[in-house]
Amino acid sequence: MSTAAVVSAIKESGAAGTGLRIAGRSTWLDAGRPVRADGTLSLNDDNGVVSYVPGDLTLTVRAGTQLSEIERVTREHDQWLPLDPYGSSDGTIGATVATASAGPLASSFGLPRDLLLGLEFVNGRGEVVRGGGKVVKNVAGFDLSRLLTGSWGTLGVITEVTLRLYALPNTDRTFAIPLNGSEKEIATLVRAIVVSPLTPYALQLLNPQAARSLGLGEHSVCLIRFGGNDAVVRSQVNALSHIARLEEEESTIWTRLRQLDGGAHTTIRIVSMPLRFLATSARILADDIPGIYTCIDPHRGVLRIVVGADGKNGDGGAAAIGESIDFHEGGIGSSQVIFEKLPPEVWSAVSPSVVSDGLSQGVKRAFDPHNILNPGILGD
Amino acid sequence: MTQPIAAQSPAHSQSTQSAVAERLAEIVGERHVLSRPSELLVYNSDGLPGYRRQPSLAVFPGTREETVAVVRLLANEGLPFVPRGAGTGLSGGALADDIVVIGLHRLKKIISLDVENRRATVEPGVVNLRLNKHVAPHGLLYAPDPSSEAACTIGGNVAENAGGPHCLKYGVTLNHVLALTVVLPNGEVVELGSKVGERNGYDLRGAFIGSEGCFGLALDITVKLTPKPQTVRTLLADFMSVDAAAHVTSAIIASGIVPAALEFMDGPTIRVVEDSIYAAGYPRDAEAILLIELDGLEAGVSADLEAVRRICINGGARNVKVARDDAERTKLWQGRKKAFGAMGRLAPHLIVQDAVIPRTRLPEILATIRNISEKYRVVVCNVFHAGDGNLHPNIAYSADDPDESERVHKAMTEIMQACIDAGGSITGEHGVGLDKMGYMEAIFSESSLNAMCELRGVFDPERRSNPGKVVPVHACKEWHAVSGGRLRMGTVSSTAPEPRPVEAEPSHPSAR
Repeated sequence: MSTAAVVSAIKESGAAGTGLRIAGRSTWLDAGRPVRADGTLSLNDDNGVVSYVPGDLTLTVRAGTQLSEIERVTREHDQWLPLDPYGSSDGTIGATVATASAGPLASSFGLPRDLLLGLEFVNGRGEVVRGGGKVVKNVAGFDLSRLLTGSWGTLGVITEVTLRLYALPNTDRTFAIPLNGSEKEIATLVRAIVVSPLTPYALQLLNPQAARSLGLGEHSVCLIRFGGNDAVVRSQVNALSHIARLEEEESTIWTRLRQLDGGAHTTIRIVSMPLRFLATSARILADDIPGIYTCIDPHRGVLRIVVGADGKNGDGGAAAIGESIDFHEGGIGSSQVIFEKLPPEVWSAVSPSVVSDGLSQGVKRAFDPHNILNPGILGD
Repeated sequence: MTQPIAAQSPAHSQSTQSAVAERLAEIVGERHVLSRPSELLVYNSDGLPGYRRQPSLAVFPGTREETVAVVRLLANEGLPFVPRGAGTGLSGGALADDIVVIGLHRLKKIISLDVENRRATVEPGVVNLRLNKHVAPHGLLYAPDPSSEAACTIGGNVAENAGGPHCLKYGVTLNHVLALTVVLPNGEVVELGSKVGERNGYDLRGAFIGSEGCFGLALDITVKLTPKPQTVRTLLADFMSVDAAAHVTSAIIASGIVPAALEFMDGPTIRVVEDSIYAAGYPRDAEAILLIELDGLEAGVSADLEAVRRICINGGARNVKVARDDAERTKLWQGRKKAFGAMGRLAPHLIVQDAVIPRTRLPEILATIRNISEKYRVVVCNVFHAGDGNLHPNIAYSADDPDESERVHKAMTEIMQACIDAGGSITGEHGVGLDKMGYMEAIFSESSLNAMCELRGVFDPERRSNPGKVVPVHACKEWHAVSGGRLRMGTVSSTAPEPRPVEAEPSHPSAR
């Protein structure tokens, strides 16, 4: 697979008027709305490093490159791509950018849109387009890179990306703080951590179901990760130990947290004002329904709900989600509810389309006039 | 430069223009519409003095409703327009060539401030510095800090995707704008992005930021605010060679430390600044200085400070001085931020470039710039965001001297080419505007430029908002196909002349 192969696949589909399912490693094909496709265009074999100059802290890779491969290549130079989307680290960078997927590290390193410097894609007419560039700062031309990020393959097939890297920190430590008091005690402790001057790499509050599944005990838990030079990590751990009881965890806990989604039929992200979530976090965490994992990133204001990951609650999933959202609606106000994964039959009722506005329709027509790229995945 | 039909169409008569002026005055009040050539002179350039274009009218709405009404009136008339903030841009992007300029500086309300969630919603005419003064008492700041922060507006920042020294650590405008209310060129009002930071669907906010006024006007902008760092330390390292300072820059970046800012000034710049009222106490005999700022938690900053100092000394720094207090720190920054202004001392005109190169190529490119400046007998002042690889080679000259202008122009073209050849970009934060349009084809393929045209066509199908900027018209396939039949007064024509390549443009006496 190469850009030229993507071009000819798209041109063929365009001529035949058939839809194409765009895929990376095909590990997350059940996300998004059902796609009306006749064939699959997999980028899995189009992988590898195109250019990497460690001194520039930038990396250009083919879209099919797995996140684990990027980790391996950059680690050799004590660098990393601080992007940890939920799911397996065998997922591809192309799919990660296309779906704008991020994880706990986003609270300090940003979303894919913040780490992406440029990309190459093939639009729905089979034209090869580049946006951005390979340098860390660039305002030349209209921003096609941001436009493609999170477009779920519907505007073009991403074939290559250039990313900003960071140096691996000298020290990287993770702690678990059990949240096992009353709702009020939990609220007070969480607030003390969140509004402190600490600058953790990542901070997640997990409900008891999620904590249990990770072997972190029977209660809700706060997972916190510090990175940087030895002095800055030591001083923060020291400061935190005055307000909470800390239990050090292996950093692999984050990999396991990302994989909690495995097998879930439903994942929903609710993004709100950070403080709103902070105020209701203790109540949300108390929501201990078997088969439902909730994780809160109080710095970003993101609540992630995973339903049915362990086979429980397979049938009543949709109902349970409805309950969860209703339950919290009063407390989170003007939030964005982002559905990643739902049972296929539920989509049309819950979220038929996220691209029905005039501008989005215009963008789609401009970039994929024959509607052959992942048709239906964002709705019509 | 795309010409409005003004010059070609007999329909564009003086009386029609005054009729439009009258109707605009009904919306915004008579004193907020300018139509006399003498009054419009002020709006015939931006911060880059090499370009002059005279608008036909200038209108200054005072409220969001007035702004929408103005845009709708122009839409109904099919008239092109150029949105303008403070006019501090450095790409010729806010120039209106015999068309209407919509000045947004009167829209300067800070609409809301949410301290706990660290967000502010502002009108487009709010000046960066004013927003920062407004949020500072709450321990917050708005991170993007263009050198013109005392005058430039958030709306202008959005249009250009503005940067600044501290973007090295904190990111550019695009990383700090969460949501926008936009009036599209057809008068429709839309919400882009979301105040909570993420939303479903296409990232139209991302597409709008940096669209240089070609996609419409922002009516309000919700930005993310950043907590003021606990500790800030500013170092000044001076060097007896440009090369040593360039290598130290690369070494700091490669070390993995992310300074809040890492700025470079060469000998000619140092001496210009020290001769000016902005004298910052830089060592006059140095061939280069690095201004390095580290911020964050005290413990971490101290450790990084020692590491950076070591890198500087090992790399040949003569002295490394750490600012003792805020006053000293402010003074060190003042010299850097006012360096462009200080260059006014050298000669009446100044060309400012904005190329970006991969950071490991810095020593080599600076040597190339030196060779080019010697070849053309021009003095290049380098003052730039070294940590990002964002160069600003500037040449002060007299545009009234044709021979000098010619040499300056050739030198700049060669410098730009060297940056492109190194795998860089033609602009890091100033935008393409008019100034760099001629280089777009050097870094983007035909199909990439066409995709940009198509994206623009979604926001502004009639191409009336800031016509003739950013992407050369001849690069837009579809635009050729558009029939030239439906022409009304001032409507942008698909048969308009193609933009002249930059080689024949600005910074050139003939263009003035």
